[in-house]
Amino acid sequence: MIKIGLIIDKYHLEKKVNEFLGYLKTVVDVSIYLEELYLLDSSKSNFNEDIFFVKGKGELLLNLVKLIENETSIPVINSSKAIWLCFDRFLNSVLLKKAGIDVPDFSINPVGVSPPFTDYIIKNVIDQKNYAFKPKTRKINGHLQVSDERALNEAIKGKEKYQFFYYQKFIKSKWEFKVYSIGEDFYFYKQIPVLINPDKMKTRIEINPIPELREKVIQIKRLLDLKITSVDFLKSKDNVYYVSDVNSTPNFNYIKNGPKIVGDYLIEQTKK
Amino acid sequence: MNIGILSKRTTNFTAKIRSYYEQEGYNVKIYTIKNLSINDSLMENDFFILKSKKLQLLYAGYFLEANNIPVIPNTKISFKCKHRIEASFLIKSLGFNSPQIFLGTFEAIKQELDKSYFPLISKPIMGSGSRGVKLINSLRDFKEDNNKIFYLEKLIVGIHYIAYFINDNICTCEKKPLVDEHASVILIKTPSDIKDIVLKWKKKYNLLFGHLDIVRETTTNKLYIVDVGTFPEFSNWKCKEDPVSRIGDVIIKRYEIIINKQIIKSKK
Repeated sequence: MIKIGLIIDKYHLEKKVNEFLGYLKTVVDVSIYLEELYLLDSSKSNFNEDIFFVKGKGELLLNLVKLIENETSIPVINSSKAIWLCFDRFLNSVLLKKAGIDVPDFSINPVGVSPPFTDYIIKNVIDQKNYAFKPKTRKINGHLQVSDERALNEAIKGKEKYQFFYYQKFIKSKWEFKVYSIGEDFYFYKQIPVLINPDKMKTRIEINPIPELREKVIQIKRLLDLKITSVDFLKSKDNVYYVSDVNSTPNFNYIKNGPKIVGDYLIEQTKK
Repeated sequence: MNIGILSKRTTNFTAKIRSYYEQEGYNVKIYTIKNLSINDSLMENDFFILKSKKLQLLYAGYFLEANNIPVIPNTKISFKCKHRIEASFLIKSLGFNSPQIFLGTFEAIKQELDKSYFPLISKPIMGSGSRGVKLINSLRDFKEDNNKIFYLEKLIVGIHYIAYFINDNICTCEKKPLVDEHASVILIKTPSDIKDIVLKWKKKYNLLFGHLDIVRETTTNKLYIVDVGTFPEFSNWKCKEDPVSRIGDVIIKRYEIIINKQIIKSKK
């Protein structure tokens, strides 16, 4: 019987994968590696899984994936490179911009130094923990300045090892477009941006495929080594789609039959 | 020519290399975390020296390289040497020994760790040298914090060496265990097995200079690499040659090679 290793943290295990695990356990063996209780030992790398699936992005999970990649040939979805580049907003912006994909202008500045654009969002640069976007919005001389509470706490209260802000130029968009991709499949949605309506699911609707976004997501997946992802886009007034977020652990419960689609995709990958 | 230096401080080796380059007629600007903004304003420099590996400085390195501005030593190897788990992969991929590593929450350590492994050494995952390094003799030495992931290494008991290298010039000293780079050391003739490790390390990762902390385990006589660095302070360089001018020169030569490659690539 196929064996799938699920590398996960407590938050995702309790809140995000009930249906997925329910389905998976009817068709394969599942082993669970829980971030809060797993002890990584560099001398132990005799894993007998056919594939690993990662749901989370914490430090231990990331390094366990690195160990598996380094010491075995077992496929891991998504890879450590993909996880790292997705939660590090600065690095993925640099990489995507270099490849010619439109991302909002960005800048890193020490606390107290203004960015080179007037309307902006301050985001946490390393989006590695499980907490929601909490925006504080203000308008100064007609310019919109949004800051995420997490970013301020991390840089100012000194919980993290940095004292700088990651600024992203604000893109005014009527809709936020969300594209999920699981292997070769794509699912398209749009919703009112969370800055306008924080209840994103209330306004989310499925839409017809947009070929331009599909091409961009294919390119992003290749650049960031992603197999399963969701990518958010904002559409500017001059009709340019800007990438605003790339996620290595998308919530596939929002796709119809999402847990089964992901489960079947993982099983298919073990046969390659 | 304009040279940028990415450094956590403006003193010590950074100050010396700035003076050296200024005497040679170059313009030098030091960027620390207090004055470093990462955007197109950095492009006024021809190349950068990545002296320190704080997150903001590494970001600058990645940004500059993505924009074809050379960074020496390069950002990827600097990051990997700073990240202890990545560094252990680099060491093992050359067939060298590195200490056994454990990573987990206090709860995982309490439940899963074989207690005969104590004493262990607790270190920051991102770090080098002795900063944040602590000897852990038992579970009582942990601060119980289940949101924290602890990085632990098996303690290797033996003779500790620090081996600096600049090009093929190796300067090795014996030092006390678990002390910082600046503590007093004794210059020794580099043992042949250490020389072999240093030269292979340097060649494999295309390094101009750096250092390796190595322990010769008493019971087995095996050598373990316990710390690596791409740009030490060279405060314990006890050999005759002046490290500042040597490093200053090899960096300029590396810059010229990179630029020539870029020119050839752009013509193709």
